Amino acid sequence: MQGGSTGVGYGLKYQARCISDVKADTDHTSFLTGTLSLKEENEVHLIRLSSGGTELICEGLFSHPNEIWDLASCPFDQRIFSTVFSSGESYGAAIWQIPELYGQLNSPQLERIASLDAHSSKIKCVLWWPTGRHDKLVSIDEQNLFLWSIDTSKKTAQVQSQQSAGMLHYLSGGAWDAHDVNAVALTCESSVQLWDLRTMKTTNSIQHAHVRNVDYDTKKKYMLVTAEDESGIHIWDLRKPKFPVSELPGHSHWTWTVKCNPEYEGLILSAGTDSAVNLWLVPPTSDDSALDSLVESPTRRVEPLLHSYTDYEDSVYDLAWSSREPWIFASLSYDGRVVVESIKPHLPKK
Amino acid sequence: MGVEDGEPLDEKAKRMRDLLSSFYSPDLPSASLRPNASFSRFATLDTINATSFDADHYMNLLVQKANLEELLKKHVEMASEIKNLDTDLQTLVYENYNKFISATDAIKRMKNNINGMEAKMEQLTEKMMSVQSRSDGVNTSLLAKREHVEKLHCTRNLLRKVQFIYDLPTRLEKCIKSEAYADAVKFYTGAMPIFKAYGNSSFQDCKRASEEAVGIIVKNLQGKVFSDSESIKARAEAVMLLNQLNFPVETLKLKLFEKLEQFLLDLHLEYKDLKDASADVNELPNQGNVNVSASAAAHEASIHEFAEALRAYRVIFLHSEPQLFKLAQDLVMKEFEAAHQQIKKQLCSADLLAILRVIWTDVLLLDKVLPGAALPDFTMQAALIAVKDYITCALSHLLLDISDAFSKILGMQKEGTEEVHPLQTAFEASKKAVIQGSMDVLLDFHHLLNENSELLLKLRGFTMDWVQEGFQNFFRKVHNYFLLLCGKSNSASQDRNLIEGVPGDKVPAGLVLVVAQLCHFIENSAIPRITEEIASSFSGGGVRGFEYGPAFVPAEICCTFRADGEMFLHLYIKMRTQRIAVILKKRFTTPNWVKFEAIGAEAKQILPQGLHHKHHRTDSNGSTTSSRGSTLRDSRMSRSNTQKARSQLLEAHLAKLFKQKMEIFTKTENTQESVITTILKLSLKSLQELVRFQTFNRSGFQQIQLDIQFLKSTLKDIAEDEAAVDFLLDEVIEATTERCLDPVPLEPPILDRLVNAKLTKTSQ
Repeated sequence: MQGGSTGVGYGLKYQARCISDVKADTDHTSFLTGTLSLKEENEVHLIRLSSGGTELICEGLFSHPNEIWDLASCPFDQRIFSTVFSSGESYGAAIWQIPELYGQLNSPQLERIASLDAHSSKIKCVLWWPTGRHDKLVSIDEQNLFLWSIDTSKKTAQVQSQQSAGMLHYLSGGAWDAHDVNAVALTCESSVQLWDLRTMKTTNSIQHAHVRNVDYDTKKKYMLVTAEDESGIHIWDLRKPKFPVSELPGHSHWTWTVKCNPEYEGLILSAGTDSAVNLWLVPPTSDDSALDSLVESPTRRVEPLLHSYTDYEDSVYDLAWSSREPWIFASLSYDGRVVVESIKPHLPKK
Repeated sequence: MGVEDGEPLDEKAKRMRDLLSSFYSPDLPSASLRPNASFSRFATLDTINATSFDADHYMNLLVQKANLEELLKKHVEMASEIKNLDTDLQTLVYENYNKFISATDAIKRMKNNINGMEAKMEQLTEKMMSVQSRSDGVNTSLLAKREHVEKLHCTRNLLRKVQFIYDLPTRLEKCIKSEAYADAVKFYTGAMPIFKAYGNSSFQDCKRASEEAVGIIVKNLQGKVFSDSESIKARAEAVMLLNQLNFPVETLKLKLFEKLEQFLLDLHLEYKDLKDASADVNELPNQGNVNVSASAAAHEASIHEFAEALRAYRVIFLHSEPQLFKLAQDLVMKEFEAAHQQIKKQLCSADLLAILRVIWTDVLLLDKVLPGAALPDFTMQAALIAVKDYITCALSHLLLDISDAFSKILGMQKEGTEEVHPLQTAFEASKKAVIQGSMDVLLDFHHLLNENSELLLKLRGFTMDWVQEGFQNFFRKVHNYFLLLCGKSNSASQDRNLIEGVPGDKVPAGLVLVVAQLCHFIENSAIPRITEEIASSFSGGGVRGFEYGPAFVPAEICCTFRADGEMFLHLYIKMRTQRIAVILKKRFTTPNWVKFEAIGAEAKQILPQGLHHKHHRTDSNGSTTSSRGSTLRDSRMSRSNTQKARSQLLEAHLAKLFKQKMEIFTKTENTQESVITTILKLSLKSLQELVRFQTFNRSGFQQIQLDIQFLKSTLKDIAEDEAAVDFLLDEVIEATTERCLDPVPLEPPILDRLVNAKLTKTSQ
């Protein structure tokens, strides 16, 4: 009944951790995903949802030299994406271009546009500015934040600035504010740091431990959603970083990732290591009543969990909303299974 | 009635009858004339008396209708009737004639008597005239003398008045001497108009003298009014006299009332003493008694005095009731203020009762004096508030006690006291604080209800309601406090003072567990007991007019606490697993975990290190187990069989599920095994996730394999759900295999030997 039966499935050959929506593809709903295999040859899959929405078609299958830990599609060019990869002790990040060989699935080579090879410690992720064309790129490793200036036509990438987050802060990931081209949120062991890319300095921080994933609300400015190891999901107003605006129970085990819907306000998707994907609806709180709702929320709040998709065999590590059809999302469990679901049946009637 | 038909009625008889009928009923002929025609036509035998009687017609009718016998009978009848009528006629005629004769005689006599009347009347008129003339003569002769006499009389009166005024001062003095102030005032007020008119001219001296005298009088009267020894009547009179002398009585009144207020203040002080004394009763029952009785007597006396004063003033000053009412209410108010202060100091219900009783007797006394002041009602209102305050106060003290218990726990943990079962003690203490405290409070409230004084009887219904309401609020507050204590709530700023001892968000996990257990305890034992108690003593059954429904809703509270209990349990599990996860993570992030070159010497370093780490891990489990075991045992013992059955059901359910898919994240039961198993499962899951993040070499893989093997034997003793644990351990191995570049497992004999060596080492 739940999850799998309603969703459209697609199997990768190996285990996988990352999936990304191809935002620049305005004609189709497509996703990019990369495998994570230590011993076999890794692949990048370009998957497209058929026009009827009943089938997932492999549009392209490209071999990738190393196991892929992070993958992000370029928001303004559908053929460009970035990966973070490692093999044993080595690690790296690169920007790739899909060759124009449509319809041929003979594993053509990806064209490497640029290598982000200035890192000296383990790279965590690469961020594109989510809203539109921007010639900058952010990459994060355990210690540092890099701002790259890229030129896709000239196929160059240069470090524009670099800043260390401090020895004791092990960075684990981050998100780029869709409303502000200069604001980036980075997660580290004990807090969420808010950076300004112009000065390359921390402007503010949310003192909250064990944050695993972070996402900006694309509809509402200053709103940040975090997922924690143990205590679920918190929603923050960046202007009042002392206490969360609202709190969701999260998952039975770690809440691994959290994604805000690009279109519907307050709609949040989370995935966790309890092999489940939860769909939440946070009732919108006006800024004035934010405190009141905090006081009274335990008694009068309606159940925020809209639906729980539980038909996964293994931990779900990544999610992606489709920006073209915002009621559709793709989820990827560790066993390499991509499931595309529509949330339409679970949206509250209005 | 029939008429003789044998004899025809002649002309004479007809005339006679007409005459008679016109004499006896003059309107008859005219009245009977009109229906003449109808009578002639419808003549019956009854028409014999009508005026239009037709004899012939009647005769014919009779003859036609009757037979001979009847006719004969009729004849006899008629003959006798005619005879009777003739006799009657004769008598009538004789009588009338007699009257006529006597009337003629009377007229003749009158004529003779009137003669000579005129002459007598003339004589009378003459005599009257002479009398009048003579009296006129006397009058004129006496007129002059009479005027003179009248003048003399006026003069004499004037002289007497003047004499009175001249005498006034001496007379006033005399009055003062004899204390006949009423007379003096009467004299003075009598002379007042004259003094006003002529005081500046002829009677100046006199006026001055008498005013001096009146001054003395006023002074004396004032003294009288102020002196308490005088009788009330005398004082009232004095006030009245002063009023007559146009003395400003209002100022007097004000002064007196000021005095009374001052008295009230003093009284208040004494009252406080009484309170203290009555509070002492509990602590020093032997020594306090004398003291109390003495001060109680003093208090009674002063209240009596106050009441007397009130009564006096009420008589003395008219229209002073409002002020007096106010004073009396002030008194009551002050008493209640004192009571409130006592309530704040957490006094027991017996003391409250004593205070209320004292107040009530006072009020009754005052009410006798001032029936119009509605003091009982006023007191009732105040007492309502006092009792309500008392209940809230008692419950907030209870809350404080509970929070004290918790701060003690915190303090204990901070100091690191080496107690065997600190958590158990803490749990016992807090449990006792909750149940014993609330029972004590209930017992206290019970005293309130059992008191038979009128005041409290009236308050009964309210008290019951408030007790229920108070407990409802109390549990709500406890709930909030727990939330606050465990850092789950950021909002309750007003209760912040309750947890001053809690250091920010660093809540010890043990405390959370205690709170969870306490929630469970409250839900399962405390609430039923309190509900029972409330139902037996405080249900509003005997109270009329309360349609609010019961204020105490145990189901709601139970629900809240059940949710709380689960939440805190989860919180506890979360905290524990988080801690273990952090330890694991630290292990994995140590740089020498995975190194291609590091095979030989470093593997040996990793081995004890890894074992140590595992050991540490089990240790952390073990330590929580020991502390928790003792804490939980009690609740487990007291838990009903149904819950056991439930957990068994859960196990069965799990076993069934296990065949298809391993269910790791099951609902946590409130048992030791369940909690530990859940923590264990979550920890192993975390371990698996962490392993997936790493890349291992052969030695790393073998290390993990060894660790898992070691854990397998250790965890068997701890965990309840062996299958799930084994499954998860296998998952970890599998994940490690996946993430290993060179997965060569250790030989089983070597594995066993290493594990055994380690086990013996730890057991030693």
